[in-house]
Amino acid sequence: MPEPLGLLEAADPAGQVDTLFRFLAVVGSIIMVYVTGYIIYFVIAFRRPKNAPANHIGVQIHDQPVLEFWWTVIPAVLVASLAIASVQILGSINNTAGDVLTVESIGYQFGFAFRYPKIANPIPDEMHVPVNTPITVYVTSRDVIHGFWVPEVRLKADMVPGIINTIRFTPTRIGTYPIICTSFCGALHGKMAAKLVIDSQQDFAKWYNAQGGKGTTGGTGGNAAGVAVALQGGKVEAGQALFGQKCSACHSVGPYAQKIVGPGLGHIFDDSAHPKLVDGDTPTPQNVAKILKNGYQGDIGVMPSSQANAINNADIANLVAYLVSLSKH
Amino acid sequence: MAVASTTTTVAPHAVLDHIHPEPTSFIRKYIFSIDHKVIGIQYMITGMIFFVFAGLLAELIRVQLMHNDGRFVSPETYNQIYSMHGSAMVWMVIIPLVTGGFGNYVMPLQIGARDVAFPWLNLAAFWMFPVAGLLLFASFAVGAPDAGWTEYPPVSLQGPEGTSLWCVAIFLIGVSSTITGINFIVTIVKMRAPGMTFTRMPLFVWSQLATAGLSMIATTALAGALLALFLERTFGIPFYDPRHGGSPILWQHMFWFYSHPAVYIMILPAFGIISEIFPTFARKPIFGYKMIAFSSVAIALLGFMVWAHHMFTSGLVPWLQLPFMIMTMIVAIPTGIKIFSWMATLWGGSIELSPAMLFAIGFLITFTFGGVTGVFLSAVPVDLHAHGTYFVVAHFHYVLYGGSVFGIFAGVYYWWPKITGRLMSETLGKWHFWVTFVAFNCTFLPMHWLGLQGMPRRVGVYADTHDAVFWNQVASISSFFLAAATLLLFANMIYSFVKGKKAGPNPWGARTLEWMIPSPPPYYNFKKVPAVLATPYDFGNPLPYIGLERTAGAEAPAVTRTPAPAH
Repeated sequence: MPEPLGLLEAADPAGQVDTLFRFLAVVGSIIMVYVTGYIIYFVIAFRRPKNAPANHIGVQIHDQPVLEFWWTVIPAVLVASLAIASVQILGSINNTAGDVLTVESIGYQFGFAFRYPKIANPIPDEMHVPVNTPITVYVTSRDVIHGFWVPEVRLKADMVPGIINTIRFTPTRIGTYPIICTSFCGALHGKMAAKLVIDSQQDFAKWYNAQGGKGTTGGTGGNAAGVAVALQGGKVEAGQALFGQKCSACHSVGPYAQKIVGPGLGHIFDDSAHPKLVDGDTPTPQNVAKILKNGYQGDIGVMPSSQANAINNADIANLVAYLVSLSKH
Repeated sequence: MAVASTTTTVAPHAVLDHIHPEPTSFIRKYIFSIDHKVIGIQYMITGMIFFVFAGLLAELIRVQLMHNDGRFVSPETYNQIYSMHGSAMVWMVIIPLVTGGFGNYVMPLQIGARDVAFPWLNLAAFWMFPVAGLLLFASFAVGAPDAGWTEYPPVSLQGPEGTSLWCVAIFLIGVSSTITGINFIVTIVKMRAPGMTFTRMPLFVWSQLATAGLSMIATTALAGALLALFLERTFGIPFYDPRHGGSPILWQHMFWFYSHPAVYIMILPAFGIISEIFPTFARKPIFGYKMIAFSSVAIALLGFMVWAHHMFTSGLVPWLQLPFMIMTMIVAIPTGIKIFSWMATLWGGSIELSPAMLFAIGFLITFTFGGVTGVFLSAVPVDLHAHGTYFVVAHFHYVLYGGSVFGIFAGVYYWWPKITGRLMSETLGKWHFWVTFVAFNCTFLPMHWLGLQGMPRRVGVYADTHDAVFWNQVASISSFFLAAATLLLFANMIYSFVKGKKAGPNPWGARTLEWMIPSPPPYYNFKKVPAVLATPYDFGNPLPYIGLERTAGAEAPAVTRTPAPAH
């Protein structure tokens, strides 16, 4: 059966969405044909005769309970079956198991960047994924609300600053497809687009290694053995200034829940609701320094390493001193 | 009670029979009038003027989209054009026309009242409208709002200066809408003529009652959201910007808590209009009066419980998607009841295809289509694909143009003779309908597949995949015909003023109260407050709908409905 939208189905939930769409299109068409057909028939059959007297009236009928019962019950049944089908498909969209590859997409005015596990720098404009591999895309934004839509995948999520939304799909058809911004984001919104490249497994591995990644899987927290950073002599003021330049685009100084891209960092040392750091370590200054040094990758997001962020060990010491000063309040 | 306690006791009916003299000065009579009919006409004229401007903006959109490379206007200008088109059409055209315009003019006449409950409040509400409209259009001078009629922050926080003006203008029209809602509720509940029980009210009055409830409650949420946006833009108080602890999703919740009911504010009065027209031109009682009236109320109530279906892609937790999806689907049931009841009203009628009736029938077809695509969008998996695309644009133009605007056109043809005392040209009216109906469908039907095949909304440039340029050109050229068709309506109005025949009190042979008095109605509407004796659409009932000579103090006699002929 051809795709009902005249659009390729390039990934796993697309077929299910199209099935639901086909059901709606068939039922909707039947309703439209009946409604329009009856209206045209009634207008022709019950048109006032040309020579009708002035007091010519129609059939004086006020209601017909049997008819009214059925045209309440039948739409209710249709709606109920639609709701059940939608819930089932929604469940399978939301609960796809096994995120074999996790990609983060960050929207900005006016483009998309993509972060992969074990690749330090975000990659602009092109998102590569291997075919037949469950993909989880975490989307968020650096500035205003953007939209992440791949028509051939039939899925969409808004990229909202401070919130991480999720799209899960399994690519099934090798090719290049548009990623389109669907939420108005400023003057050049109409030109904000990127490409989703669905590669064969081999091509993806080749591409991934060329980008500096190692191996095709990942997505769990990945701190290499940390090199201890000397934290003595860190200056709060210098750390505060640096935080504004390097960190504040993604981190607030509010509580953990006040996320921009990453969690709020105002209380990492004294937050009883979050007694562990994102990598599971206890929140000591040295462990925080370790994340700053090595970066972090995990479900919550990707934080670049100190190398990618262009900060040295003295900067790390200053930042840690600043974060410690925040937690004392 | 106050009357009884004074020493010179006045009989109640003498109070009712007292008629205030009509003001004589031009300003009190036509500019700052407190007469609901004058105010209704003022709303209609002002709304029609804004309709022309907002329509021209739509044509500019269509000119831009004739080509996919954005060669007509810059992206900045394009964004301002479509944002202003949407804002003006919703707040300065449709809502004022269907509530302030038709509601003000027709509703008090239909319930046998001499005016609304609070005429001075009505005057104040009206004058906020042109001021708000001018403020809105003045924003072009400083850079009009550019983030769509929804103005989602944070991008609207970056928008041109005019975005703040937009906040003020919409706030003002919101205040106007709220107090009109209160005014109408009090009027309908307290000022019906003796004998007009709730189940003898014309359905247009029912629709205005449901709408007034929506206006009164929902608009306050919008006011709060707008105030916060204005404060954040002007003083940097962080309500919505996540960098300073705000939440962009907060705006979406508050905005849609108003703006989904606002869809029903725009459509329910149109339901009311065609519920008057079908019985009159089919010469039959409306089928299922109570079901239509109650379904209006049901739709209004459900309207408060579906707002987040505009936010399925915003990152609602999945379990929260379900209640909003299911509530939205449930709206289809009362809406279906209405559609089937109108169709059943046509069955067995003595149908006269006047322009008003043609537009009412056109409404039935196009609105049903818009309702069906609305059910598509209520299904979350389909919405995840179609949200934010031209499919949505197509859907809401079928509802708001094919629904509300067709309803407005039908209402203009229906009540024009009452308002002006003159008939319009039937031939011109029929041409207006047929050109509008065909051009409308050719304009908006292709947008369904444009959206499904990958065209997002709010773009002045787009990829030419799946023949997108071709279908946009079809839509654009059709939209020029759609605009031209509207000129036929204006030509018909001029024709009616110049050559139109005198209409007389009741040119359509309708049974509701407004047709029992001269056209145009006198200043005081009803010299004696009428007593209502029967239901409004019983064309076969030998009992008249009203007795114009009221017997003071007497209850209206019980009405026995004549049995329907065997069928």
